[in-house]
Amino acid sequence: MTEQAMDDNRQPVSRTLQGIGVSPGIAAARVLVMKRHAWRAGWRHLPDDHVEKEVERFLQAIRTAGAELAQLREKLAADLADALSIIDSHLLMLKDKMIVERTVAIIRRNSVNAEWALAQALSEIKERFEQIDDRYIRERYADIKHVADRVFGLLTGREHNGLGDDDLPVILVANDFSPEDALRMQAGNVLGFLTEKGGVTSHTAIVARSLNIPAVVGLEHATSILATGDLIILDGRTGQVTLHPEPSEIRRRQEGNRRNHAKADDLDRYIHLASETEDGYVVRLSANIEMRQELPAVLRYGSEGIGLFRSEFDYFQGQKPPSEEQLLATYRQLLETMAPHPVTVRTLDVGGDKFLHSFPGNGAWLDQERNPALGLRSIRFSLYERDLFRIQLRALLRASVYGRLRILLPLVSALNEVRQAKAVIAEVIEQLAEESTPFAANVEIGMMVEVPSAVVMADVFAREVDFFAIGTNDLIQYSLAIDRGNQYVAHLYEPFHPAVLRMIRQTVEAGHASNIPVSLCGEMAGDGLCAPVLMGLGLDELSMRPAVIPRIKRMLRHSRSNELRNLARQTLECEDSERVREFLAATLPHFYPKDFYQS
Amino acid sequence: MTTCARDLVVGNERGIHGRVATRLAEVASEFAVVLQIRRAEETVECSSILDVLSLALVQGSEISVQAAGEQAEAALAAAAELITAQEDP
Repeated sequence: MTEQAMDDNRQPVSRTLQGIGVSPGIAAARVLVMKRHAWRAGWRHLPDDHVEKEVERFLQAIRTAGAELAQLREKLAADLADALSIIDSHLLMLKDKMIVERTVAIIRRNSVNAEWALAQALSEIKERFEQIDDRYIRERYADIKHVADRVFGLLTGREHNGLGDDDLPVILVANDFSPEDALRMQAGNVLGFLTEKGGVTSHTAIVARSLNIPAVVGLEHATSILATGDLIILDGRTGQVTLHPEPSEIRRRQEGNRRNHAKADDLDRYIHLASETEDGYVVRLSANIEMRQELPAVLRYGSEGIGLFRSEFDYFQGQKPPSEEQLLATYRQLLETMAPHPVTVRTLDVGGDKFLHSFPGNGAWLDQERNPALGLRSIRFSLYERDLFRIQLRALLRASVYGRLRILLPLVSALNEVRQAKAVIAEVIEQLAEESTPFAANVEIGMMVEVPSAVVMADVFAREVDFFAIGTNDLIQYSLAIDRGNQYVAHLYEPFHPAVLRMIRQTVEAGHASNIPVSLCGEMAGDGLCAPVLMGLGLDELSMRPAVIPRIKRMLRHSRSNELRNLARQTLECEDSERVREFLAATLPHFYPKDFYQS
Repeated sequence: MTTCARDLVVGNERGIHGRVATRLAEVASEFAVVLQIRRAEETVECSSILDVLSLALVQGSEISVQAAGEQAEAALAAAAELITAQEDP
């Protein structure tokens, strides 16, 4: 059906739209369309007796915008210092004389409408900011524009965006979401996201996944096709959006929503409880994240630290590698927010499937590698591009004073790589000391165990590093020689292959023999079937998507350590993955209700 | 009513950016003073965050700060700390 036809025929007819599902789950609710208003401020001359009314209309919009921001501020958790400070500066800009007095003056002097006057005032500010040499300060103009957008939207009678005075649950629809929108999502009653732009790795997708809210991106023209108040069903797994669904279908879905919410409320009880077994055996449950925007989710789900921060995100923004200051800002926020819990930052893990297109002058990896999974990636890349590595290490070490930092070296396959990396770290430390730049003395340096050679040599590596982090996603691929992305062999990818389980055991034993902690940060950690086996294998820490932490904690708190160890021991006696699954299917029901381990 | 002034050098690595400018405006209002920053020929009032930002005060900028009001001295001390600190507030 064309848009034209839709306008002519307002009868709700059910139809299906296809986007890209990026965060699984199903939501059924009315939509709130957040339109970005194009700044097409027509010029209108006002009769003299209308000028003061126009001024008042403008001031009213300023007041409303201020109230909206204040309301948003109220709803945000007090521990989000950075977010609150952004809103505070936006509130000040909203009152600034360059915006308020200037716009009022233009309205009065020219007898024009407020929209045009505001656009004028903004373009004057823009001109001033464009002359600024310092990039960081110059870019603050984006904030001013954002604030002005809000006022402009109110003037042109945009639909009320203040996330529900009534707090009715909604699905947010936008072209794309700004960081402030993302905050709004956490503050309000949002059941799902839908955007026109974006892919699987977009901000929206990442934030949605870590908040466990269904999301669909890449649905073109969504903000024109949908109108605020339309009912939709959004499926974040398939990417399907049903507009004007049948009433029976909605009821079914909404019932499902309620059930899911009841379940989530039950799990919420575990957020503030200790992560230990009934008999007090502790397993740290921490979060895997890739952007600092995920921190609210990390706090929300009671994570005790960050077990894996994938540091690549900063490197995929813009044309140039990030500066030391940019990286420092990210790391500092992570450490400050999580302190006193540890934050494990994995150094740049590019190459293989994550290709860096945007770096000029790095020929080696622009050459088409025949076998990127076995190519110049991760720690190999960092040791090859030492300058990039040094910048990241400087930022990390400078951030180390703000919390507890653990540096994690990815894809280590030989001892020499650890020694070289440690030598570079030592150089950087010396340099910082010379400059009298502060850094923490107790930064831990660990390595990923994700290559079979690292498992075999784990006893030797354990004497060189402060901790191990087992990366099962890669370890499974490398040890079983399976590319999970290849549809013909993907079925052979098997976490329960006894070889994988034995490698985990060997790594844990080697680590503990040298008194270093061993964590695991693959998808296995957050899987209800795998987790009890991993706990029984003696892992000190399991790191997973923030949203699944309460579920795994519930399992841990309903376990006893000797039972977990027995379970792991018996699992290791199985001769293949089918036997492992059979054994677990027969055994787990004795310990837990079904919904503890089944997804 | 007291007026006092001081010459200062901007310490923050990213210069007087949004967060510092926001705090400066808050200082002016908390101490109920008129807080001004002068660099060369230009003088701006800290109550306008945009004015302060548009001075583009990067690290090492030499400025003079003036406070006028009952609590001018306390306000100036607070402002000086924000301006000269290398750390973000």
